[in-house]
Amino acid sequence: MKVGEHREALVERVRLLSQLFVALLATIAACFWFVQVVRGSHYRGLAENNRLRKVPIRAPRGIIYDRGGRALLENVASYDLLLDPTRTRDLEASLGFAGALLGRPPEELRALLVREQAAGAGLGPVLLAQNLRLSDVARFGVHSLEHPEFEIEVGHLRLYRHGEQTAHVLGYLGEVTATELEAADGAHDSGELVGRKGIEQHYDAELRGAAGQRVVVVDSRGRLLEEHLGRAARPGSDLRLTLDLELQQQTERAFAADGKVGAVVALDPRSGAVRALVSSPAYNPNLFTRRLAPEEWQALITSPHHPLQNRALQNTYAPGSVFKIVMAVAGLSERVVAPGDGIYCSGAASFYGHRFRCWKRGGHGRVDLHAALRGSCDVYFYHLGQKLGIERIARYARLFGHGERTGIDLEGEKSGLVPSPGWSLAVRKHPWYPGETISVAIGQGPVLVTPLQVATLLAAVANGGYRITPHLVPAAARPAAKLPLDAEALARVRHGLWAVVNERGTAAQARVEGLDVAGKTGTVQVVQQKTWTESRDLPYEQRDHAWFASFAPVRDPGLVVVVFVEHGGKGSAVAAPIAKVVHETYFRDDLRAHRQPAAR
Amino acid sequence: MRPTSGTISALTGSLPLAEERASLRHVTGLRWGLLAAALLLTAVGLLTVASASAEMPTSYLPRQAMWVGVGLLLLIVAFAVDYRMLLSLSLPLYLASLAALAAVLVVGHEAGGAKSWLGVGGWRLQPSEFAKLATALLLARYLATTKERFLLPRQIALAALIALVPMALVVVEPDLGGAAMFLPMLAGVLLVAGVRLRLLAAAVLALALVGGLVWSFGMQDYQRDRVITFLQPERDPLGAGYQVRQSKIAVGSGEFLGKGYLQGTQSQLRFLPARHTDFIFAVLAEEWGFVGVAVVLGLYALFLLNGAEVAMRGRDRAGILLVVALLSGTAFHILYNTAMVVGLVPITGIPLPFLSYGGSFMLANFLSLGILLGVDFRRFVNR
Repeated sequence: MKVGEHREALVERVRLLSQLFVALLATIAACFWFVQVVRGSHYRGLAENNRLRKVPIRAPRGIIYDRGGRALLENVASYDLLLDPTRTRDLEASLGFAGALLGRPPEELRALLVREQAAGAGLGPVLLAQNLRLSDVARFGVHSLEHPEFEIEVGHLRLYRHGEQTAHVLGYLGEVTATELEAADGAHDSGELVGRKGIEQHYDAELRGAAGQRVVVVDSRGRLLEEHLGRAARPGSDLRLTLDLELQQQTERAFAADGKVGAVVALDPRSGAVRALVSSPAYNPNLFTRRLAPEEWQALITSPHHPLQNRALQNTYAPGSVFKIVMAVAGLSERVVAPGDGIYCSGAASFYGHRFRCWKRGGHGRVDLHAALRGSCDVYFYHLGQKLGIERIARYARLFGHGERTGIDLEGEKSGLVPSPGWSLAVRKHPWYPGETISVAIGQGPVLVTPLQVATLLAAVANGGYRITPHLVPAAARPAAKLPLDAEALARVRHGLWAVVNERGTAAQARVEGLDVAGKTGTVQVVQQKTWTESRDLPYEQRDHAWFASFAPVRDPGLVVVVFVEHGGKGSAVAAPIAKVVHETYFRDDLRAHRQPAAR
Repeated sequence: MRPTSGTISALTGSLPLAEERASLRHVTGLRWGLLAAALLLTAVGLLTVASASAEMPTSYLPRQAMWVGVGLLLLIVAFAVDYRMLLSLSLPLYLASLAALAAVLVVGHEAGGAKSWLGVGGWRLQPSEFAKLATALLLARYLATTKERFLLPRQIALAALIALVPMALVVVEPDLGGAAMFLPMLAGVLLVAGVRLRLLAAAVLALALVGGLVWSFGMQDYQRDRVITFLQPERDPLGAGYQVRQSKIAVGSGEFLGKGYLQGTQSQLRFLPARHTDFIFAVLAEEWGFVGVAVVLGLYALFLLNGAEVAMRGRDRAGILLVVALLSGTAFHILYNTAMVVGLVPITGIPLPFLSYGGSFMLANFLSLGILLGVDFRRFVNR
């Protein structure tokens, strides 16, 4: 079997074939040259990134103390379970494994994963569970080889020691959102917790500190091979508040005990330092330290009384008779009335063709300013309002800070509304009705304030005409601004407010033995009533709002207390007793000193 | 390795009578370049397998060394046995390998989604590797019978049938990479044996058609995935595209001089899958850089050119075609595997001759090398 006459052709074809092989080999060599030499540094960079991973070191968040140095919260360690979906080949198996260990259905975990990814976390690790038990942590550790996609991260949880009692002051933490991440431009890490409300939000930058960075060398299973400290974390700063924890707790107990809705603000009228700030209902901020289920969140935001609302500064209400303080100061300062001028209250008066009633059915009889404040005579202030006119009323209201934010170091503060003819034309598109001036004179009508604004008003009256800036952190204090008010007028108003409490006025229930409390009640009609009906006989949402704005002691005021009870009924009956508790608590040492000699 | 005439003749009994001529040829007749290239590549393979499995639970070096040892024994046997005897036995060998391939489908062990392993004693062997040798033998023997300058269509059809039957059996395992090697083998022998140009064109068309059919009916989802991923690697950088991406990173990051032996981060840190088998060349490229790549590709070029020289010096049609068939298969492995590692072609389980870890593949390569050396050695005998 020889090759014969065709051998030359065969050899030629073998040569061609071998040349083809070598040419292809050369082509492949050229490709290697391109990848390794031309693009080599590019791939070198990718290889470095493959094995170097930057891991943020979370900085411990600053602790918040009350004015006496008592910690209001603490940081506790929490073991969190993260799932990196990019590192598993079989997501279902991973979820099944985690579900079995955590005792949760895999579908639930899958839903969580989908939601988290949709929320913008992108490709990175997703937080599946927080605050794992140590036994669970160990079980995930045992299976880390088969399931490298799971990571246990040690985080800090915020534990708010006093729960709902300080909820509206401190706020809570929430995971940074995708839009915030983008806006922060590198200032935040994904998954970082940021302040969501209260002090936690306002002082987030101070409390947060700066995250550090570890550089770790990992293999393809994410197992740690080496570790280098890139940058140490800078812990957040601690904050000491002006808040008085004991006062806050007593106030909260006195207020929220029977499920009242509303707010209490207690502050030092000389500096504006807030001593207690309660809004009810509150929420439990410790709920937010683990991730809220959508149902829980829904329940919070759809709750009829909106527990997330800080009623001390985020809701506005008609001030009612508390506004008579502004009226009295304005009337005296403008010399529209003299202290001795009297007026006769028969229980009602007519203005501009309308009948305006006094709250007291039989009328107050003859009243001067002092008596009108003490008895909260509406008719007196109707006349005063008519004489002052809306423009001057609005000017004084603004002077005291109504219609603008007080500037407290909390987010979301409302500015309220000081109505005027200009505002009416611009916003309501109709002229100011003269009759509205009569309503505004007793704090009804379009005028709207926050309890915090009322506190600054009382502070200005108490401290002799200085407008203070309420604050929770001493560094946020601003120099008080001297208001162009007549000192004589303020003194007379203070005396009138003292009489409200101490001369059988409307707030006799706020009277404290041994302490000169001064204040003004307010009862705000929520619906226009045709007949005299006791508020407690009305449906809840039609009941009157109750106010009591006070300060003490009259001669050297040290505390302003404003109590507002939504749909609470009469200010005198509902709000004043709460203020009494607050004053008693705050001045407990002075009162004890006062009483002891008497007892001896 | 210098075989003496005594041992060889004792083994085969088919040495030439002219003792004086033979003694000279024994030394010079051995294709030293071919042997040296293969042994150097095997040494490089052992080194690289050691590095690739350095971070694995078990090192593959001792096992690979054992396979090389057995392979060297088979090399001597294949060299010593006259290839003509093998050719004459090619039909029974071929049928036996078909039986083995069929047996695999019934009683085979499954690994990596394919049933391709047969337990023989304590060993696991891949019959498909040996079926390739038997197919090469039968193809050479059959196509050597013609005296024509060009093959007749009937002959081409029968040759195609010889290659396609075992190939089909490997396809259904399913082991596409293993099956693919039958085609270059067939193409190589047909081209060299003589195919008219229009027939070649028709064959290319038929191949395209078969490819389309295989794509539609013959492929598993994961296989289709691989092809799609190859065409659009960015589609799924962490799923099926992972291997391509990690391999290219390994190769590219080696740059010109490499990261140094045992210093490849892609392989030592386990980013690179199948790094001791199909992707061993990526490990080498990462640790030795372009310099190492060029040296190894140079050794392969040396191997292929020496192999082609064996064919071109052959005097016997069957021997030439046998060499061409074996060489085409090996060349395809080399070209496809290196192209795959550098990201030019889709990922398929096609290992790199003499470098990749794998027992049956190593044995088949040494058997093939022994046959090549034997054909060359007997070129003056079998005329």
